[in-house]
Amino acid sequence: MAEEFTEDELTLPPCKYEYLDHTADVQLHAWGDSLKEAFQQCGIAMFGYMTELDSVEIKQSSEIEAIGHDLESLLFHFLDELLFLFSCEPFLICSKVTITEFVTEGEEMRIKCKCYGEEFRIGKHPQGTEVKAITYSAMQIVNIPEKNTFELFVIIDI
Amino acid sequence: MLDELRNACRPGMVGGFLPGVKQIANVAALPGIVGKSVGLPDVHSGYGFAIGNMAAFDIDNPESIVSPGGVGFDINCGVRLLRTNLFEQDVLPVKEQLAQGLFDHIPVGVGSKGIIPMNAKDLEEALEMGMDWSLREGYIWAEDKEHCEEYGRMLNADPSKVSMRAKKRGLPQLGTLGAGNHYAEIQVVDEIYDKWAACKMGIEEKGQICVMIHSGSRGFGHQVATDALVQMEKAMKRDNIETNDRQLACARINSPEGQDYLKSMAAAANFAWVNRSSMTFLSRQAFAKQFLVTPDDLDMHVIYDVSHNIAKVEEHIVDGKPKKLLVHRKGSTRAFPPHHPLIPVDYQLTGQPVLIGGTMGTCSYVLTGTEHGMLETFGSTCHGAGRALSRAKSRRNLDYQDVLRKLEYLGISIRVASPKLVMEEAPESYKNVTDVVNTCHAAGISKKCIKLRPIAVIKG
Repeated sequence: MAEEFTEDELTLPPCKYEYLDHTADVQLHAWGDSLKEAFQQCGIAMFGYMTELDSVEIKQSSEIEAIGHDLESLLFHFLDELLFLFSCEPFLICSKVTITEFVTEGEEMRIKCKCYGEEFRIGKHPQGTEVKAITYSAMQIVNIPEKNTFELFVIIDI
Repeated sequence: MLDELRNACRPGMVGGFLPGVKQIANVAALPGIVGKSVGLPDVHSGYGFAIGNMAAFDIDNPESIVSPGGVGFDINCGVRLLRTNLFEQDVLPVKEQLAQGLFDHIPVGVGSKGIIPMNAKDLEEALEMGMDWSLREGYIWAEDKEHCEEYGRMLNADPSKVSMRAKKRGLPQLGTLGAGNHYAEIQVVDEIYDKWAACKMGIEEKGQICVMIHSGSRGFGHQVATDALVQMEKAMKRDNIETNDRQLACARINSPEGQDYLKSMAAAANFAWVNRSSMTFLSRQAFAKQFLVTPDDLDMHVIYDVSHNIAKVEEHIVDGKPKKLLVHRKGSTRAFPPHHPLIPVDYQLTGQPVLIGGTMGTCSYVLTGTEHGMLETFGSTCHGAGRALSRAKSRRNLDYQDVLRKLEYLGISIRVASPKLVMEEAPESYKNVTDVVNTCHAAGISKKCIKLRPIAVIKG
């Protein structure tokens, strides 16, 4: 059964990420007007390396949850959950992720996120590069609310 | 390598990463290391360990550690070489069809799924049995096992130590090539440096056709490594292990985390062997269909199968005494000398065949292990070309059409799932594999035996 989506859900956010140089792998650099937005952008950046995102239609959605004991591990597990969503059932490739719950205070940090996209299908979606894993390698989270700067740097192993 | 160092030393860098040379030095400071932290000629920056980094740890020292970073995410990524009794002139007229045949048989690239039927129970058995599973299910020949490191099965594998998550990721991907630098190539023997050793491998003369498969443990191994890193972070805090770099997550070999990792790593290693075996089966089918003869009649035997991302327990002579070591080889290939008990009967006199995969369009090599390497690098040598340009730089500087034209000019058919990959994996993006191999030869840690030239490449 096809899921129904509101206009709002189907609207894609602007692109606020880029891919930086790394000898063997790729460094994702994402930013936003809030840490939450930077996280969302970072997730999309990863999917953008796997295929051309404009080939992805929003037909279904999945919900993920990630927890961490600090911001770094929260980001790590968030991306790891997204990668997992793609790697096995439902093989979801996303063009939009919306964080619905974003707790970054206290002992246990938590993210709940709704991911929009469709099942990856060879032929429809151009094959990009496979992401093997998320790494802590040179991970940087710039979180300065006073200056309104929120930036993430993550190296993904490919 | 020097560029990496130069970049990292630039003042005011934001976002950068640790250069390979510093990583080798950080590894040298890990507890329990024996001898040197070795950087091989193809070294470049990696995760924790550099890629092209070898380090051995004394198992009897309670302080010694095991590090998933010293193995890599793609556990038991490796190279397998099959020979045939065909010659270049037999293949050239049907080269395009054969390349297409291989591409159609072997699932490649992001999101591809294996075509060998598997359920969860089969996976458990495959993880435990490695190539014995492939043999039982009829995908390989009994002789294939003989010509594999560890005979294609790590006995300490324990699938119960592996997370459900890893198994879920692994199941659909068994029997797939993957993407990135993985490939299947049809190659021609271009040069024979050591006729006698080549003969032992069934390579008689120039022009003979071989098939090389470069792949690993796919999502399964990646998840095993990811899970272990998370576990080890906790263990490091508990056991007060201090490292120079947070990425060098590790645990004492004898701690529960260390042992669990070694058991699940072994399961991932078995997964990789089953994976390469499945693709061996598919390659044999593709050849058989093209030439309408059986793979047996094409003499498609496995010459050898090496792992270049693995940690193994081995006995080495340290300061004149035998010692049990846990040898981490990340982007480094085992190269045991003649008469070593762990290499197959057929290669007892020549030394272990060492397979060095080139990159799209460049040559590959078969080397043999030496006594000198046993002393200098605990029987290890290089694994491939090693990257020179970053992927992003390759995409910017190289043109898709140019790269394809150049390959065509060199007489290489190519089938690639992702066009972007063509630039990223272009020969210009890598160090010259010939230089790397010559350096290893000159240093005496391995000896040149055969040079192979690709005529068709299948990639993710």
